[in-house]
Amino acid sequence: MIVLAAAWVMLAAVVLGYSAAQEALLLRTDPGAIPARVALAELAAARGRPLFDARCSGCHGAEGRGDPARGIPDLTDADWLYGGGTVEDIEQVVRYGIRSHHPKSWDLASMPAYATARPSARDARIEPLPPGDIRDVVERLRQLEGSPSDAAAAARGAQIFLGRGACYDCHATDAKGDSAIGAPNLTDRVTLYGDGSRGSLERSIEIGRHGMCPAWEGRLSAAAMREVAVFVYRLSHRSAAR
Amino acid sequence: MIGPAPASGNRRSFVLMAAGALAGLAMAGYALFTARGTSTLIVPPEDVALVNQQPISRSDYLAQLQTLYGVDLAHATPEQRHRVLDDMIREELFVQRGKELDVAATDPDVRTSMVNAVEQEMAADAVTSQPTEAQLRAYFDGHRGRYASEGVMNLRDYVFAADDSSSAAAASAAMRSTPPTAESLAAWRARDSHKVSDQEFYFAARIHLGDVLFAAARELPDHGVSAPLQQGGEIHVLYMIRNRRPVPFDFAAARDQVLTDYRNDAIGHLRTGDEAFLRKRANILVADDVK
Repeated sequence: MIVLAAAWVMLAAVVLGYSAAQEALLLRTDPGAIPARVALAELAAARGRPLFDARCSGCHGAEGRGDPARGIPDLTDADWLYGGGTVEDIEQVVRYGIRSHHPKSWDLASMPAYATARPSARDARIEPLPPGDIRDVVERLRQLEGSPSDAAAAARGAQIFLGRGACYDCHATDAKGDSAIGAPNLTDRVTLYGDGSRGSLERSIEIGRHGMCPAWEGRLSAAAMREVAVFVYRLSHRSAAR
Repeated sequence: MIGPAPASGNRRSFVLMAAGALAGLAMAGYALFTARGTSTLIVPPEDVALVNQQPISRSDYLAQLQTLYGVDLAHATPEQRHRVLDDMIREELFVQRGKELDVAATDPDVRTSMVNAVEQEMAADAVTSQPTEAQLRAYFDGHRGRYASEGVMNLRDYVFAADDSSSAAAASAAMRSTPPTAESLAAWRARDSHKVSDQEFYFAARIHLGDVLFAAARELPDHGVSAPLQQGGEIHVLYMIRNRRPVPFDFAAARDQVLTDYRNDAIGHLRTGDEAFLRKRANILVADDVK
């Protein structure tokens, strides 16, 4: 009986030691190299899954597919709003969040609310747009993504996009966005908010958008944050993960 | 008479003692090298350096490499790695020296940064907790007035001389049956103020027209005409071409804004509570002459 208890204690110590060694290996490995180290990636993803379920699935859903009605991004596609979808980039979001009020969170740009007297709290130079101008910009966006659009309105919208609206400032002059500041690509058909219809595009321009993701720094261990990052990485690289 | 203890009893005692010692050693060793705030000679795996036991995060190090050189760890040269680490160690040393010198006592920028950082930290706590749908719905129900589309109006503001109230009254009456034309306006000696151009959101129309004229305008139906309104030494008659009033959002449409407002309120409450706690535990003495 006593020997059995001692054996259990020893076994627990070995398991704890092994687990700590695995965590250390995971943390010391270059994040970019983890996906290629299949055994390590699988271990991290397996440990990341319950963390994701507990902390992230409330918004992103159990399968990470998000919800366009709420502006929750799909984590299973290859379209990344912030960064390039590497384990390191994902871990930065998990760690510091987006507009999370953590000093290191991603918070460089917010979509102005053009149907308000002060569209941007940060930049007083951005002026409101009247309803007609907003409709013209929407036609321009539909033209860019290859959807049916009014050519004359789209031409006016292009002028507003590159001029008074200052849309180019975040979304770039070619409207392909900038993942360094979380400005989405407006030329594809991936929409973060709504269904991409005229109405939902108008609404985004009218009321502005500024989604947030909490920071887990100080609330999860470094290893746990990396495990979640690896799990999310593998959600978007399912074929590679198999 | 007491005889010698059985051999099996001795062995059991020895095993128990050994197991206890081993477990104690294992726990002590683990705690010694992992506990926060414990002085250690081992750099934890999540860090790249310890400067006077203050960690420099591996994650921050990688981010810094990416920011400065656009490379990940695998592609960074030894010089780049060394320079980034050296810069981060230098920064940490200076921050620690700053604490020793209590620069916050003298440097207004540091004080501002510290106040902002503490406020952000309080807010981050509120942001991490995800409200339930029931909480959001209850918040929405309690603040329904906030959640509506912005109204849009397309109207004309015709201006008459202050002493020409008869023309203004005639115009107001005539426009109820026939939309104004250039000729009729000329006959009434009226002009378009052009304060409102084409379609405008309510907020913009309010700015352009002023509160009094806007209040009259927002009540007009499509093709409605206001009574003559004295304003700013002139008489105004408003002709509404189209008035799209604000439409209340349902919960689904407003959810995004509800969540933002809910969180902002939570942040406000948390900050207020934290500030009250800080004041409560502080020993604050105020001079009599400024009480």
